[in-house]
Amino acid sequence: MSWLAVPKEWLATFGEIISFCARVVREVLGLRVLRFFGEALRQAGVLILSSTLVIWGLIFIIGLQVGIEAAYFNRSVGSPAYAGVFAAWADLRELIPYAFGYMMAAKVGTGIVAELGSMRISDEIDALEVMGISSITFLCATRLLAAWLVLPVMYLAGIGAGFFASYLAVVQQIGEVSSGGYFLTFWMFQNPTDLVYSIVKGMTMATAIVLVGCYYGYNAGGGPVGVGTATAKSMVLNVVLVHLIGMLGTQLFWGANPRAPIGG
Amino acid sequence: MVRTAADRAFLPAKSLLEEVGDMMILTGKTIVSALRPPYPYGGEFVGQFLFALKLCWFPLVVSTIAFGYGAPGLQAANFLVLFGALDRLGGFFVLASIREFAPFVTAIVLAGVAGTAITADLGARKIREELDALQVLGVDPVKNLVVPRFLALMLVTGLFNVYALLFGIFGGVLATLVNGAALGPFWATFFTNASVTDLWGSVLKTTMFGAIIAIVCCYKGMTASGGAEGVGRAVNQAVVISIMGVFAFNYVFTQTLLATHPEIAVIK
Repeated sequence: MSWLAVPKEWLATFGEIISFCARVVREVLGLRVLRFFGEALRQAGVLILSSTLVIWGLIFIIGLQVGIEAAYFNRSVGSPAYAGVFAAWADLRELIPYAFGYMMAAKVGTGIVAELGSMRISDEIDALEVMGISSITFLCATRLLAAWLVLPVMYLAGIGAGFFASYLAVVQQIGEVSSGGYFLTFWMFQNPTDLVYSIVKGMTMATAIVLVGCYYGYNAGGGPVGVGTATAKSMVLNVVLVHLIGMLGTQLFWGANPRAPIGG
Repeated sequence: MVRTAADRAFLPAKSLLEEVGDMMILTGKTIVSALRPPYPYGGEFVGQFLFALKLCWFPLVVSTIAFGYGAPGLQAANFLVLFGALDRLGGFFVLASIREFAPFVTAIVLAGVAGTAITADLGARKIREELDALQVLGVDPVKNLVVPRFLALMLVTGLFNVYALLFGIFGGVLATLVNGAALGPFWATFFTNASVTDLWGSVLKTTMFGAIIAIVCCYKGMTASGGAEGVGRAVNQAVVISIMGVFAFNYVFTQTLLATHPEIAVIK
């Protein structure tokens, strides 16, 4: 019996998360969130001011990392001029979405849990309900709408930061390929469709992270310790989700079609 | 007027520098009190080690298989299939898995799972004034709480790296099988290209990641303040700072390793 209890509990939690997320998404898509549009804009402002730089920072560092791996790998196969191929694929398709997901989970996801969790245990959420304000709409749906408003733009700019970092590492730091030669292959191995796929991947991760954060924060309990535990738990689920979404996105978008300008 | 403007610009930078300095001091204190007798932290060390092991193994398996199958597996296999050279995927996995993604996925999972749990635990003790009570009783919190976590996280991150390597390579095996190729050439190029330097570099790197995560998370937990919201905020900051620290260290370390050991960057 006991070995069945753990997976049973997981399934129950998973079901609760899904139904909670469905409620939040319904509030947003049903446009009931627009009653609190001001709050959504305020959340968007908070997101921009507090999280943008740190997310771009992580993408930048990972871009540098991709750059040096690209330079050394292509040197080892005897084609240092083609470092752009490695950088284009690794940056746009894989590592920028992952870096974005990691930092979203770490900064925004846990931030939402901490904020909503402390509201929950100081009974502020109950107070909202008593005042006749739907707390899910006011607290969770506004955050999701804010994320959808801000993050695509932030993600695009993040891609820029990653590309710039890879350029710095390959061309300026290692310096085995000229700037023109690097960009020639770099731009040849990507096109706008790849960019759209990458954005879809990043936004799916972001949506999942915001929803998971809202769930754990909204349902926190057990005093100050409970808020800390809920924050830690949300991070576990988010790390797993980021990797799963990354893998499924790759399989879906590039699994059957490499989308490379090679061969017929 | 000038003073307020200067304060606005410099106070955040100053507090950031102070925090980094405090973390350095905590690192020094931890290392000194780990080495200097007596050694009362044995039981706590084993407890923390098992705790991290129990918490992290499942997220780590899922994460490394997913990453290994998706990013280096499918994408590189797609590329190599175009040239009819899928057997080279094994050689690529030495670079991708051992040198890069197994260490950093391990670090992300450890920071996100074990690190957050440590901060939440220490933060709760701090705001319930248990840490102050310990100090009043004459028990040194650095020696009895930080040192065992520091050592346990270093050891567990280093060991988990090996585990992540295995499952990351399993992701590569999956990608080869999905492409309908035989596994013999994969293993052949993998073992020809694998080197001991890569392996010790990888393990050393993750051990240092563990140290960074432990220090940041313990520091943030022990300085949490402001009730329930404070603990949550401490966890939030701890995981952000440890991820940034890990990746900054990763960049410097990998660059140094590649530049000082040119023989590992030769395809055989």
